Formats: sequence, C-alpha cells, structure tokens
Amino acid sequence: MTKILIPQVTAERLKAQLNRRHFLALSGATAAAAFLAACGDDEKKPGTTGSTMGGKVDKNINLFTWADYDDEELLNSWGGLTIDIYGSNEEAIQKLAAAKGSSGYDVVVPTGVFIPQMVSEDLLQKLDLSKIPNFKNLDVAYTNQAWDQGNQYSVCKDWGSTGFMYDNRVITTPIVTWADFLAACEGPASGQVSVLDTPGNLCGLYFWANGIDWTTEDPAHLDAAEDYLVNTLAKHIKAFDSYPGVTLVEGNYVLSQAWNGDARMGYIAHEGAGGDPADYSWALGGPVTELWMDNWAIVKGAPNPDGAHDFINFILDQDNSVKDLEFHGYNTGMADIASLLPDDLPYADMIFFEDAQVATMHAGAVNSAQDRLVEIYNNTKAAAGA
Amino acid sequence: MHRAPRRSLRLPKFALALPSWGYYVAFFLVPVVLIIFYSFGTKIPGSAGRTEFSPLTLDRYRDAIKPTFFVVLQQTMRISITGTLLCLIIGFPVAYFMAIRIPARWRGIFLGVLIIPFWTNFLIRTIAWRIVLSPVGFLSNWLQDIGMRDSNIQVLNTKAAVQLGVVYNYLPLMIFPLFVTLDRLEPALREASKDLGASRLKTFLQVTLPLCAPGVIAGLLLVFIPLSGDYITAAVLGGADGNMSGALVASQFLQAQNQALGSAIAVMLMGSILLVIAIVAIISFAFKAVLHRMRKVDIPGTRGDDLAVATNG
Amino acid sequence: MVRRRRIDTISLSLGAWAAIVLVFLYLPILFIVVHSFSDSNALTRWGGFTTDWYGKLFENQQLKDTITNSFKVALYSSPISVVFGGLAGVALARRPGSWTKGFLAVIFLILVTPEIVDAIGLQVWFVEVGGPFVQPSVPFMRSLFPIVVGHAIFSSAVVTLIVRARMAGLDDALEEAAADLYATPRRAFFQITLPLIFPALLAGGLLAFTFSLDNVVISQFTGRPGSSTFPLYVFGKVRSVLRPDLAAASTLILLATLVALGSVVFVLRRSGDSSSEIAATLTGGG
Repeated sequence: MTKILIPQVTAERLKAQLNRRHFLALSGATAAAAFLAACGDDEKKPGTTGSTMGGKVDKNINLFTWADYDDEELLNSWGGLTIDIYGSNEEAIQKLAAAKGSSGYDVVVPTGVFIPQMVSEDLLQKLDLSKIPNFKNLDVAYTNQAWDQGNQYSVCKDWGSTGFMYDNRVITTPIVTWADFLAACEGPASGQVSVLDTPGNLCGLYFWANGIDWTTEDPAHLDAAEDYLVNTLAKHIKAFDSYPGVTLVEGNYVLSQAWNGDARMGYIAHEGAGGDPADYSWALGGPVTELWMDNWAIVKGAPNPDGAHDFINFILDQDNSVKDLEFHGYNTGMADIASLLPDDLPYADMIFFEDAQVATMHAGAVNSAQDRLVEIYNNTKAAAGA
Repeated sequence: MHRAPRRSLRLPKFALALPSWGYYVAFFLVPVVLIIFYSFGTKIPGSAGRTEFSPLTLDRYRDAIKPTFFVVLQQTMRISITGTLLCLIIGFPVAYFMAIRIPARWRGIFLGVLIIPFWTNFLIRTIAWRIVLSPVGFLSNWLQDIGMRDSNIQVLNTKAAVQLGVVYNYLPLMIFPLFVTLDRLEPALREASKDLGASRLKTFLQVTLPLCAPGVIAGLLLVFIPLSGDYITAAVLGGADGNMSGALVASQFLQAQNQALGSAIAVMLMGSILLVIAIVAIISFAFKAVLHRMRKVDIPGTRGDDLAVATNG
Repeated sequence: MVRRRRIDTISLSLGAWAAIVLVFLYLPILFIVVHSFSDSNALTRWGGFTTDWYGKLFENQQLKDTITNSFKVALYSSPISVVFGGLAGVALARRPGSWTKGFLAVIFLILVTPEIVDAIGLQVWFVEVGGPFVQPSVPFMRSLFPIVVGHAIFSSAVVTLIVRARMAGLDDALEEAAADLYATPRRAFFQITLPLIFPALLAGGLLAFTFSLDNVVISQFTGRPGSSTFPLYVFGKVRSVLRPDLAAASTLILLATLVALGSVVFVLRRSGDSSSEIAATLTGGG
C-alpha cells in the first residue's frame, strides 16, 4: 500500500512547474491549454464547464464532509448545499452504516484508504464518469489509486500530509523527526501538546517515531503502541484537536500535530493578527509520515445522484478547484496546477511538497488492525482525561 | 347544554395522560430498553458498527470497568458532585439575599437579571468562556498589566476550566428553586423564633435551613442530573482533560462503531446517577431525622416527601 | 412613614456576593457581544471594531439554514410538549389514581436519564422503525421530524410537572362550580381550567422552546441531512475554527430571546401574577 501516490516523475514535474510559476502566469493560458490537450484523454473541448445535463439538474444536495473544508461562497455559487460535518472517517462511516442506506446524504468525502471498507459495507454507489467530464482536469497521478482502481467510486478532492507546528520561542531545539516530537511532548512541551483527533494519526505517532510501518497488523507492535500512548504520552497531551492551527497561534498549545493545510491556516491567522510568522516552525514529520487523499464519493441511496455528479463536476472545474485550494490549503490534484495559481498564494510551500518530501510519505491502511487502533485511541483519550 | 351534566366521563382517569404515555413508551422506554439490550451484545469485528446478540454476554461491562474507562466515570462523578456542591455554596447566599434581604418590589427585577444569562444559548455561553480564558485575551492581558501574573493565563483545556464551565452553566438551576422556596417562607416563623429568644444563627440553622430543605434538594438534583450527563461543556473547555463518561459513550457510537460497549458505558453512567440520587435521598432523610430530634417544636411543612417536591422542581 | 431597613454587615456582604455572582454570570455574555464586533478572523482574539460580521451573517447560507432549522424545531416541538405535558399535568392533578405512581416514575426516569442515553437509544430505534424517521417525507417538518420528536420528550415531562404544580396550587372549586352550573366537561375545560393553567402552559412552552434551541446531543444523534441546527453548526466549529460571525448570530438570538422573555413577563403580569410568581413559573419552580 505504500508509495501508491505520485510517482517520482510527477513530483518532479510538479516541482518544476512550481519553480516556473511566475513565468507560466505571465505566459498565460496558452501553455496551460496546450499542456491539457497533451495529457487530456477525452473528446470534450477543454474549458467546457458547468452542467453536463443541460441545466435541468436539481441543484440541491446534502454534503457530508469535514469541518471547514470548502470555500462556502464557492459551494453556494453551484446551488443549494446543506452541509453536515464529521470529525473522522470512522464517524462518517458509522453514521452512514447506522442509517442502513437511508442516510439521505448525497456526497461524502472519505479518505482513500477507507474506501474499500465503505464499498464492502455497501455505503457508496458507483460513479458515472461520463457525467463528470471535468474528471479529465485531474492529474493522472491522482487518479486510479490502489484503493479504487479505475475511479469507480471516488475522485480526488485533495491530498496532504501530516507534520507538526510549534512555538519556537518555547521549544528552542528544532524538531525534525517524530521521535523529536515525542521527546518534546515529554519535555518542554509537556501539557501543552495537541495531537490529531483520529485513531490513525494518533497511533501513527508511535509507529513513525519507532521505524514501524504504520500499516502494521502485528499485535506486538500494536500492544507496544498502546503501552506507550496510554502510559507515557497521554498525560502530556492537552487536547485532541484535528484543527489546531489557529488555536496554536492563539497561545493555547506550544506544539501541535497538524495537517499541512490547517497549519497553514494557523500561520495566516497569526500574521493577520499582527504576529510574526517566524515565531512558529512547521515541518513534515520525519523520517516518514502520512500521505492521505480525500475523495469525493456518492453515497449509496443518495436522493439526488444527478445533482451529486453535477456538483463533483463543478468542483473539478479548474477555476473552482483553485478557489477551493486557496481556501483549504491542500493540493487539489489538478493537472498543471502551477499555471492556475495566483502569484501571491501565501505559504505555497506548505501546499506543494518537494519530491524528496513526497518520498517520505506513506498512505495508511484499513486492515485487521483497525478495531485495535480505535481501541488504542479511545484508551489514550480516557487516560489523557484521567 | 340541557343534558344532565356528567360529573365524570366514562373515560378512565388516566385518559388525559394517554398521549404522553404512548409517547414515552414509543420514544423513551423502548429506546432505553434497546440500549440495555445492546449492552449485552458484541461488535462484529471489522464491521462498521454492526452488533451481534448471540450469545448475550456481560463482557461489555467487563470492558467498561477496565481502569481506562472506569477512571473517566469516577472523574465524571467527581466533577459533577464538586460542581453541584459549588453551585449550592455559591448560589445559596444569592437566593437568600434575593428572597429575604431585598425589598419585594426589587425581587422581580433582580430575578429577571439572573434569568437572562440562563436564557442565552447554552453552547454559546460555554464558548464565551473560551474568549474570556484565552491566553491572548483581554483577561489574560489585564492580569499581566496589573501585575497579578507574569505570563499568559493557561486555564483553557484543563479540569479547572471544565469545573468553572459546569458551575457557570448550572448555577441558575440551583438559585431558582432555592429562591422559590425561600420566597415562600413565612417571615412570621422567623419572627417567632426571634421572639422566643433564639439567636439569629440559631434561627437560621433551626428554622430557615430546615424549611428550605426541599428547595436545596430540588436544586441539588436539578444541577446534578444534567451536569453528570453533560459532556458538551467539557468538550468545549476541557481539551484532553474534558473526557466525561457521556463523551465516551458518544465516542463509542460515533468513532469506535462499538455500540455494545457504548451502551454498557451508558447504562453504567445512568446507574451511577441513580446511585448518587439514592445516597442523597438517604442522607437527607437521616439529616432531617436528626434535626427533628434536636428541635423541640414541630414546624409544619418540614416533613413531607422531599423527593416528590424535588421532582416537581 | 417608611421605616428604613437596617443595613447590616450581613446584608452588605450578601449583597456584595450577589453582585460578584452577577458579574460572573454576565462576563462571558459581555465578551460574546463585544467580540461580535471584532475585526479578526478568530473569535477569541480581538482585532479592532467592525460591524462586518453582522453583514456577513446574511450572506452565510449555511448559518442562516441552521438558525432557521433551530427555530423550526423549537416551534414544532414546544407545542407538542405543551399539549402532551399539559394534558398529563391536568390528569395528574385532577384525576389521580393507581396509575399516577407508574406515570410519575416514568417522568422521574426521563428527568434523570442523561441526554446521551436518550440520544443513542433514539438513533438505534429510529433506524429500526424506519419510515418517517429516515425519509424526509413528513409534511411540514420534513427531515426535522426525528429531532422534533426527540426534543419533545424531556420538555413534555417538564411541562407535565409545571402544570401539575400549578393545578395543585389551585382550588378546584371553580371547576366544581362550573360543573354545578351545567357546563359540559369540554366547556369547563376551555373556559375554566385552561385559563387557570395558562401561565404554566406559557412558561412550559417557553422552557421547551429554549431547551430545544440549546440542544446539541439529541440533534447530533437523531439528525438527518439538512436538519443541522444552530448548536450543531456551532459545535462543529468548536472542533475547527470559531469566527466572530457566531458571536454576531448569538447576539441577535439573545436580543430575540430578550424580546420573547419580555413579552411573556408582560402577559403573565397582565394575568395578575406577582413578580415572584412569574419568576417561579418561568424557572419551572411551579
């Protein structure tokens, strides 16, 4: 399951594109169109956007997604969405499964590795890619992933990674690896640490720091992780917070495990409040860290599947995708994204990674250890609150 | 109009309560029984939250009393009981002041002023404490300006913040029943006690206090019951320290997809609450018996069924 | 001659204590109102004065939807609570019998059961029942139906007790007289009993309304797509980023609540209650 995303070639291409972003921005859309034509594999003319079904689509859907994950203005420009949010894939799956096909949601945004379980639980319905012509706008590196070959059930929304952000006025020794991170938790950051509020990310901390593949199913590894997290780490944790960026820069934590887009929001908020960005350091965890991709998928029994397809097509439009990216700060996987971005995109290096960084990222897995991970997570939470 | 009046309908006496009966059976009793049933089940491994019931087992209760979960239950009870007592200590003087020490015409206004915060949205007034307690907020800066602290305040995401939050949220529920009871006290009783030579303290201890026992018990219950099940306040203010039993139940349902274990924890939480209520009932019964023996005269209105009064709260 | 009340140290210190408690109760509300005018992207940090958030409030479709949902749920569930609770309260006060004990026991259980237990029970049960609980086909309420049902359980129990307490405090002579004067039971109910318990119904309805507006847990577990309420929206934001638009929305809701509260007090005063009685009624003190 490792290295399923972004072959080296793509990463290099991406980097090259980023480096010549200004040039491309100046040279305008011609280059972009040419590039698109080169890698596009469908008959439709580039630039065709909007409804594929002649505008007769009912533009009211129920979106079940993560908090603060899309530019609401953008969504409202498509039509009427009602949005409910969840805090983890487990939560989304539980809610869909509990409703036994009558959840009433149209679109859900699961992380890639959870898709096989959702398919086997019959929670997703197959996509009709002919209704999503903008699918071609996606970089091929982000299509046809191991968890959903042929994009039968899902298309890429965006992808990102996990690292940490800290107040370097308090933590003066640079933190580079996850082992450093854990040492800082037990040391200068004790009681002032937040960790991500999902089972995978919490247990990942231990595996990444100790050189264990975080897709491990070995009971001994899982027991060791539980022992460390419950008996050692828990008492140093101040909060389980999946969106610590802004809270961190308000002085509530000194060290936070964070997703790149959220950490970026923290920087932007800090600067917006007149703070000095140099007060905080951000790094992807080393030597290895997470790679996740969230995906648009249509819920089984969706009341409005046509609307759902139309919405996904809308959001895969190049301009819309970039607007969304500027809001959430994650790479939306558009082909030739560099030419689409505005010049002044702040903290672009937190959105786009160098290939050396990408090489350290590995996707998780949903396997026989899943129940155990959730159990460890619950036990750690209980221990942290004791 | 010209028919002879029927003094009583042929309908049974509980007819008017029938809609409620049906409603409670369908949407309260059955769901609660269902949860008790689920607590004897087992999660099907690897499934997204499906539960099997053959065989029925007590294993979920064994899981629920493992130290990791049991510690949270203990903490929930500690925060709830401390919070309830704090509400009583903070609220009683206020209710006493309002009901007995200020002129009657001011009482309504004072009460109105007390009610307004209580009618503000629960979640919003809890979140408001995040602003008040923010390390970079006004309060923090002010405390540093006047030299009371030399660094940012760090109260958010601690047990102290949870304790503060629950006292804040439930304090009005203590003050109101106390006020109502104290307000209905006949001043004549206190006057009589004074005229008969009792000191003020003795009057307070032997007349006022026993007479307001029903109000105290109502207040204790009104605060303790919702507080012990509340996990929202703790989730907003407590961070990792804000792990209440209610949150464990929610998490088992929402995250762990283990409805059986969530149900078992829920049943234990309910059991603990009933246990505390039973203990309070016994203590208050004993307390009254002692007071009664200490007292020479019987004061009307201090006997009666306090629990019944309390549920009327 | 008005005799001056003797101001002693005990009264003074009690008064001081009451003042401190009032400051404690109002401090967070003051902060919320102030921060609704904060020119900052984060709720907890002050960033200079602006009224922009009030304008943005009306552009935020999701926020508007959830506020609308909250008021709809409250508007649907409080009459259910008032009707069910009112009838049961009258029955308890005027037609006690062997059934009373069991019924009161259920009421007691409802009052002591933590919300989360109701919530998970209803979630599991609604899926079992299916029908209107999983399909948005219910007239008027649409997807709000399960939440409305859930909210009315606790509230109707509270209304029952308020009405019972109110009736227990009233002599039944008037009702007897009505019957003696050949009023039909129906007429006696509408012309005598109903006006008598009206303050209790009003107060109970108002309490049910606020309980519903405040509710997070039941809504979270019984909610359907499109039924997200304002507290659920806010609770979601707690887990991500809180912005001052929530403070602006809360300030407006607070104003609306004050107006509602004020008019209820006005109505109760017209019906002849003293301020203490109003207070007792409004706080559910019976």
